[in-house]
Amino acid sequence: MRVKTTLFKTRSMSAIFIKSGCLGMLCMLLSALVAGTAQARTLETAFGDVDIEGTPERVVTLYEGALDAAVAAGVTPLGAVTTRGGDNVAGYIEAHLGENLLAIMGVVREINIEAVLAQQPDLILAPAQLSDEQYQLLSRIAPTVVPLTQPLASDNWKDEARLYGEALNRQAAIAEAIEAVEDRAAEVAEALEKADVGGSTFLVRWMPGGPMVMSENLFAAGLLAQVGLDVQDGGLIGERGVHSDVLSLENLSQVDGDWLFLATLNEDGQAAVDAAKQSSAFTRLNVVQQDHVVPVDGQLWTSANGPLAAQAILDDIEAALLP
Amino acid sequence: MTVPRFATTSVRRATPRTLMILLLTALMAVSLVSLLIGAGSVGPGRALALLSGAQDSEARFIVWELRAPRTLIGIAVGMALGVAGALLQAVARNPLAEPGLLGVSAGAAFAVALALVLGASAATLRIPVAQLGALVGCVCVLSVARFRGVGNDPIRLVLAGAAFSGLLASLTSLILLYDQRAADEIRFWVIGSLAGRRLDDLFAVLPSMLIASVVVALIARPLAALALGERVASGLGHHPKLIRWLVVACVALLVGAATAIAGPIAFVGLVVPFVARAFAGPDIRRTLWFCLPIGPLMVLAADIISRVVVAPSELPLGVLTALCGAPVLIAVVRARRLPML
Repeated sequence: MRVKTTLFKTRSMSAIFIKSGCLGMLCMLLSALVAGTAQARTLETAFGDVDIEGTPERVVTLYEGALDAAVAAGVTPLGAVTTRGGDNVAGYIEAHLGENLLAIMGVVREINIEAVLAQQPDLILAPAQLSDEQYQLLSRIAPTVVPLTQPLASDNWKDEARLYGEALNRQAAIAEAIEAVEDRAAEVAEALEKADVGGSTFLVRWMPGGPMVMSENLFAAGLLAQVGLDVQDGGLIGERGVHSDVLSLENLSQVDGDWLFLATLNEDGQAAVDAAKQSSAFTRLNVVQQDHVVPVDGQLWTSANGPLAAQAILDDIEAALLP
Repeated sequence: MTVPRFATTSVRRATPRTLMILLLTALMAVSLVSLLIGAGSVGPGRALALLSGAQDSEARFIVWELRAPRTLIGIAVGMALGVAGALLQAVARNPLAEPGLLGVSAGAAFAVALALVLGASAATLRIPVAQLGALVGCVCVLSVARFRGVGNDPIRLVLAGAAFSGLLASLTSLILLYDQRAADEIRFWVIGSLAGRRLDDLFAVLPSMLIASVVVALIARPLAALALGERVASGLGHHPKLIRWLVVACVALLVGAATAIAGPIAFVGLVVPFVARAFAGPDIRRTLWFCLPIGPLMVLAADIISRVVVAPSELPLGVLTALCGAPVLIAVVRARRLPML
């Protein structure tokens, strides 16, 4: 804003005093330079460069990773999308939000543009898979930051979080949060090694017909690998897939490793394990007989990502695997 | 699915007894294949070795604990849906009356989905709830059939049924929106499957299937008389209204039971009586007998295909029966003269 007013003033001034025009230009350049170092920054996004100035205060997040990064950076957004299969934000992030209630902007695949407009945001943090049409609408409301689409990889979240952090003008806080995750992961890895816990690991979601194997490139799978577990997906997932199709019960032995993390979108993970245990094909697996099945919260493990989610997952891993 | 026309001309010359023996042999062959083939690593070779006495715990588990139950359940579901289709067609006097097409299965599935959302644990309440839903669906459809004009026109009845099914499907979607967490559990109730069903489920529905078959045996003769017209049936000392209600109850019991164990499986109730009539001629009693082997034949064949086409995963059975059934529906509707029952 400062740049624009300066520009306007110099122009009107230069119209009157032609001689001082050069001085006015210099003034403008200087002020732009000052603003540039302190505030304005150009972000490389999936839809080209986006210019953002200052520290946005009215932030809307349309992606769970963006919500996580914002909260980790100390910003409470005005609105956010729900977690997969839920009607509110994920439980783990609610704990960080405390009393603050976020307005719900729909689900990540079906964003409620009117709800976004109602918040009058000055920054929108959107998911990498945002469609072109939606970008056109959202970017008219406020600068919209969409991370570059990358092939599914378990550490995409770091680049995304850094981008969101830069948009929020809180680069240092995000860098700190990411480093804290690295430290914590190293700590858990060391503890697991000391306790001699490890081996092949599968992350699955249990469906009524059988398990869906989650990709080893998933966020949570990356953390499992980082603490020293050998995460596998049995080669059951195609190039771009996040999870396999529901596996036939005849092929359950393909997920029979040393550890089985059973994610469920239901609140009660134990209920999912009980449901799975009704199937004799499940109970005969070695991993089940050794009692190495770990029920985990699917909202956190298969839907969320970001530095706070990483901490929560590492807590889960520690609680489940360490005696 | 071009069997029927061929069948009506040449096959009917064979005596029904020979035909029945042929069908039963085919059923036994398909049941055996159902034990031998699956989505997993245990192929026909290993399964045959096991059946001839080899020690192979993995194969034993997969053949006897996974494939044998689903084969038995497939047989039961095929019989129930085939007979229910034949009954519904006889009482609606309409060759297109099919539990799946007319929304009876959809009614059962919707009732179960509703019960799941309202908090019923899936295993306990499922069967009575599914049967109640099927009954409501059946009554709705047949009362539509009694509207002036609709009952005389087989296609209009199907249209009414399609509208009814559409309504129920949208209500089921509404439930999915209302409670997305239940979505995974309910998805099973949108397209049926035999995978992962347990023998306990079959035992739980057997009593109602037995009751239905006893009632069917008792009303088969009056039902055949009803085919001659209501007045003739009354003249022979039967009670058309009572018979009709008993048939509706049987259809609800059978479709509800089949849906409770396997989810909604479309078109079996259309195709099976259609083929059975081609073998048996117009007599409903003989048609019902022929439905008994033909229903399981179709369900098991579709189930075997569903296991192998996308291994290591499986297709839902309902998808395959719809793929086989839709051409038959089109063939029936396009026939120059829609057969009236």
